[in-house]
Amino acid sequence: MNRYLVAAAAAVALMLAAAAFIFFFAPTDALQGPVQRIFYLHVSSAIAAFVSFAVVVVGSVAYLWRESIVGDRVARSAALVGVVFTTVTLVMGMMWAKPIWGTFWTWDARLTSTLVLWIIYAGYLLVRRLAAPGRQAARFAAVVGIFGFVDVPVVYFSVTWWRTVHPGPVISTDALPPEMLFTFLFTMACTLVLAAVMIAIRYRIEALSDAQPQSQFVLQAAQRPTS
Amino acid sequence: MSAILAAGITHWFGSEPALEGVDLVVERGDHVAVLGDNGAGKTTLLRILATAMQPSAGGLEIMGLNARREKRRLRARIGYLSHAPGLYPALTAAENLAFFCDLRGVDRARVPEALELMGLTQVARRRAAELSRGLQQRLAIARATIHDPLLLILDEPDASLDAEAPELLSRVMQKRTVVFATHDQALAARLGHRTVQLRKGHVMGAGSRLHVVH
Amino acid sequence: MRSIAVALAVARKDLVSEWRSRELVPALAQFVVLALVIANFGFQIDSRSAPAIAPGVLWLALVFAGLLAFGRAFAAEKEQASLEQVILTSAPPAAIFAGKALAAAALLVLCEAVLLPALALFFGTPLSIALAAAVFLATIGMAALGCMFAAMVAQLRAREVMLPLLTLPLWIPFIVAGGQAVQVMMGGGNSYGQALWLLIDFDILFVVLTSLAARFVLDE
Repeated sequence: MNRYLVAAAAAVALMLAAAAFIFFFAPTDALQGPVQRIFYLHVSSAIAAFVSFAVVVVGSVAYLWRESIVGDRVARSAALVGVVFTTVTLVMGMMWAKPIWGTFWTWDARLTSTLVLWIIYAGYLLVRRLAAPGRQAARFAAVVGIFGFVDVPVVYFSVTWWRTVHPGPVISTDALPPEMLFTFLFTMACTLVLAAVMIAIRYRIEALSDAQPQSQFVLQAAQRPTS
Repeated sequence: MSAILAAGITHWFGSEPALEGVDLVVERGDHVAVLGDNGAGKTTLLRILATAMQPSAGGLEIMGLNARREKRRLRARIGYLSHAPGLYPALTAAENLAFFCDLRGVDRARVPEALELMGLTQVARRRAAELSRGLQQRLAIARATIHDPLLLILDEPDASLDAEAPELLSRVMQKRTVVFATHDQALAARLGHRTVQLRKGHVMGAGSRLHVVH
Repeated sequence: MRSIAVALAVARKDLVSEWRSRELVPALAQFVVLALVIANFGFQIDSRSAPAIAPGVLWLALVFAGLLAFGRAFAAEKEQASLEQVILTSAPPAAIFAGKALAAAALLVLCEAVLLPALALFFGTPLSIALAAAVFLATIGMAALGCMFAAMVAQLRAREVMLPLLTLPLWIPFIVAGGQAVQVMMGGGNSYGQALWLLIDFDILFVVLTSLAARFVLDE
């Protein structure tokens, strides 16, 4: 069995274990009831999304700085995974918000900036498709990836300054009972592993498609020694 | 030192090969005519030589400078006439040239001289949009030489020029290294020192000295 | 030194072209007035609801006029095939950007000169220096971002769709702070001074970032 399959199976097993903790180990929240269980995966996938986008930025900078094809490929893979986790975050957040806030959506800082994040990196994926393959796609996407990452804290800040209702961080205030805290940290670790495995598999796919004979990257790499 | 040293230039558009393993050596002061059918890769080759495009693969050195790494220094020494004239329709002929003087950091005093050389003095104050296609072509040639480049890359310079094309072109080609693409065998014979024949992205009979041919 | 000369030459060239053809500004001005008319029907605006809605209408009209103006700035160069010639002059990309942004921003300011009085006329917004200052500060940052993405999008397929898609998310901070500034003037919101400082901060941030990114967007 190849190692990607093993890694994928391990990630799925970990996520199932996390689900078991969420449903059978963590106590039911006194105020919110069972809906609160959404929190574990919701926050974990938000963190996984942010980490993925941070990886996009690192890869993009590496590409712009030294034309590192590996950097670009890492960025490409992480962007897709980041968009997937952002989608999960948004959808789960809305499912939680309806019973608790009485509405699926409110325009507070976190929600707005997460939505903006989703839009920007969906745009990133589109730029990759629409630009001329090779250098142009890589450069343009890298610029979008970096601008998007800078923009999100700015949007967050400007909306906070304006108005916000999202519950603040609860971890640091010791408000979480130990079982909940453990479940949360475990779920987060599992989700990060899942994200890492997804990025790795995606990287492999990108590497294989770059290795197609007509790919611009192969030819560029071949050019290196002569120039 | 050769003016152009190109080795194994290859370019793909998607999965379509436009150029495959083109080798080209051009000596200083040489005038090379690139001949070939439509779609043979002439424009792609010229665009690559003008640094308007990077080849998918292959090494390119122009006037001792690496075309990948020292693009900006190279561009200051190359004059490129592209397929489309790329003029600003609302600006006059003189203003078009003056604008490119500003971009290149060249003295605007060169404008009248460049217009004169291309026989455009009469229409200097007409807008580019009002000029005939032939006059637009002359203006584009004037712009390609406004910074007195050492190397001229001309893509079908005779397009829409009348009978005086050879005379006009030989004026700007003097004392310069020139690579030009054309369909016109006679023009290639008259202006080129030698020809390069492209077919489907490959060089066919390169290096034949033209004075032998005619 | 050369950068400044290049930026000014590009800006002057664009403004002279626009002055002679007068294509964009009349269309933009008309678009902006039309946006107000449509907003009136869309929102059922009366004298009581106007203070709450007018700032939003102002920024919506401005954002879409801006998209048109910046999109045109590079689309025209691409259609005329002059963009390539400009790039091949080896003029610094950041300077070319600055020139394009300067000219496009100037056109947008002209369009604001129609929008703000029209807004005052139809919706009773105050017509003050303070309001103009907030709108102007937002225009600077929006122009920097708008021109950068317009240059990128001009080189893509499907450019009409992509410009708003890439630009709008990055304009949000300007719309939030600018909208706040206008709301203060209509008797609501927090602090005008703070909104203005925010706009200045965003301007600096994005002008610096776009000039750093210029050479990756405007090369071959």
